[in-house]
Amino acid sequence: MTSLAPDTAHPPAAPGANLGADMEADTLANMYLTFDIGTEEYGVSIADVIEIVGMQRIMPIPDLPPYLKGVINLRGKVIPLMDIRLRFNMPERPYDDRTVIIVMEVDDSPIGLIVDGVREVREIPIDRIDRHAQLGKTGTRQVIAGLGRLEKSVVVLLNPSVLVSEDDIRLLQEKSDA
Amino acid sequence: MSQSRADSAAETGLMRVPSERISRLMDLVAELSLSVAETVRSPDLEGLELSHFETAVHRLMMIVHEVQDAATDMRLVAIDDVFKRLRRMGRELERQTGKKIEILTIGAETQIDKLVADRLYDPLLHVLRNAADHGLEPPADRAAAGKPETGCITLTAAQVGSEVRITVVDDGRGLNRARILAKARERGFFGPDEEPEPAVLWKVIFKEGFSTADTVSNLSGRGVGMDVLNTTMTQLRGRIMVDSTEGKGTRVALHIPVSLAFLDCIILRLGRQLFAVPIDVVSEILRPEISAVASIAAQNGAEVYLWRGGSIPVCRLPEFFEGMPASAGGNVRACDQIMVVFQTAAGPLAVPVDEILDRQQVVMKPLDGRLSHVRASYGCALLGNGDVALVLDCERLMQGESAR
Repeated sequence: MTSLAPDTAHPPAAPGANLGADMEADTLANMYLTFDIGTEEYGVSIADVIEIVGMQRIMPIPDLPPYLKGVINLRGKVIPLMDIRLRFNMPERPYDDRTVIIVMEVDDSPIGLIVDGVREVREIPIDRIDRHAQLGKTGTRQVIAGLGRLEKSVVVLLNPSVLVSEDDIRLLQEKSDA
Repeated sequence: MSQSRADSAAETGLMRVPSERISRLMDLVAELSLSVAETVRSPDLEGLELSHFETAVHRLMMIVHEVQDAATDMRLVAIDDVFKRLRRMGRELERQTGKKIEILTIGAETQIDKLVADRLYDPLLHVLRNAADHGLEPPADRAAAGKPETGCITLTAAQVGSEVRITVVDDGRGLNRARILAKARERGFFGPDEEPEPAVLWKVIFKEGFSTADTVSNLSGRGVGMDVLNTTMTQLRGRIMVDSTEGKGTRVALHIPVSLAFLDCIILRLGRQLFAVPIDVVSEILRPEISAVASIAAQNGAEVYLWRGGSIPVCRLPEFFEGMPASAGGNVRACDQIMVVFQTAAGPLAVPVDEILDRQQVVMKPLDGRLSHVRASYGCALLGNGDVALVLDCERLMQGESAR
C-alpha cells in the first residue's frame, strides 16, 4: 500500500489544509495491528482494518483457490475469508478460540484474514522499518512491505494489496531477501 | 412515487438525497429482515404454543415487507434521464453519419432502479449508434426505397411484471442475413451448411469482436459496442432479443429486472454448498428414474437426461466448479438426487442437487474483489437464516457445458 511506501512522508501541510485530518492520517500511518501466525508476529496497517471478529460459520464458495475458505455474512455484508497460513503455504491448523478474523478493506473490497490470534496495535515509526527493494528478483510485487524492528523482536509488515492479489507468494524466499 | 408525502413537507416536492444514504438504508432494511427472520425462527421457540406471538409475527413480517418495498421504491427513478441523454446524442449522430435521424421516446416515465439506470446509458448508446450507423440508410437510399428521408429510431420502455423492457427500434435496412451468416461461419459459430433460426443467428452480433462493418468508423464497427451491451446485460441479469426484417428495420429488446436488490429464488443444497436460482428459470423439479440418466463414454462420460421425450445435457456442479468436494455429488448416482431443469436460451439444462430447501426473496450482493472470479454466478444471496448461497447464472452454466 502507498501508505507504507517510504516516499509518502508528508510534505509540509499546504496553507489552509485541514491540519486535524492530516495529523490523524499521519498517526494512523504508523500504527499496525499485529497478529500471530505460528510463532511469528505479522502486522498490517491499521488504516486498512475495519474490525476484528471471532471465528464464525464459514459458508463454502466454489471456484476459489484453497486459501480462500469461503464467505461469512457479517451483518448483511458478504466477506470472503483468506486463511493466512494456507496463503503462505504453511501447514493448516484447526481453528481454536484464539483464531480470529481481521476484516480489512483492500482495494475497495472487503476481505477477512484468518489468523492464529491478534496481539496488539503497535506504533512503529518509519525509521524503525527496514524495507527491501520494491521489486524482487523476479520483478514481482512483494507481499512483505517491510520488517518493523521492536525492542526484542521483529514484526513482518504485510502489503495487503499483494496479499489479496492472485500472485503466487513465496514467503520464505522473500524473508531471506529482506 | 413519494410525491404525495414530500408535497406536505416542502413546496418543491422533491428532495435531493445522496445515493449512499439510500444504499445505507437498503442495507439496514436487508439486515432488519434477516434479523427478524432469525428471531422468528429461533430454535428456542420450537414446540411452544404461541398464538398471540404468531399473530404479532405475521403483522411484523408484513410491515418488514412493506418497508422493504418502500426502500426499494426510493431507489427507483424515471428512465427519462437516460432517454434524454440518448436523445441529445441524436444531433451528434446526425453530424457524424450525415444521415437525418429522428429519435422518439415512449414510456420515459417508466421507473427503474437508479443503479440499473446509471449502467444502461453506455450499452443503450451502443445500440443506438449501431442503429444509426448500420441500420439507417443514407437519405438518398431511403428515398429510393420509398421511405421518408429522415430515419426514425424509437426508444420504448415499459414495465411488465418485475421486468422493465426497453426496445430500440429503427426503420432502416434491417440486418443482412447473408453477410452475418457468412461472418458467423467464418468465425466458426455455425457449420458451413448450418442454417440457424433468425433469433439464434442475430445473437451472434453480441459476440466479442464480431463486426460485419467493412470499415471501422468512429461510431461503430469495432465489434466492441455490442460486447459492452452483452457484459452489462449479464451483470444486470437482463436478456437481449433481436428481431429484424430486411428492408424494414431492426428491433433490439432488453429485458431487465426492475430492481437488483431483491430476487425471488429457489434455494438448492448440494453437499455443504447452497445455491440459489431465480425462480423464473426453473422449469421443472423432479426425481429421475434410474434409466432416465445416460452417460456417453464417447463424450468423456458426459451425461444426458431423458426429459419430456428428448435428451438434455446434465451439468454436475462439482465438475463444473473447481474446489467443490466430489463427495458433494460426484459419486452419487443421479437417480438418488433431485433433478432441477433450468430453461436457458440455449435450451433446457438438468442439474442434480441433494435437496430443495426453500423458496424465498433473497438479498443479492455482487461478487467483488477476489469473489469476482467465481464463474456462472450473479452474486451471493443472503438467506433469511443468515446463510449465504451462490446465485447461479444458468445461461453461463449452459455455455460452460456446451464448451466442453
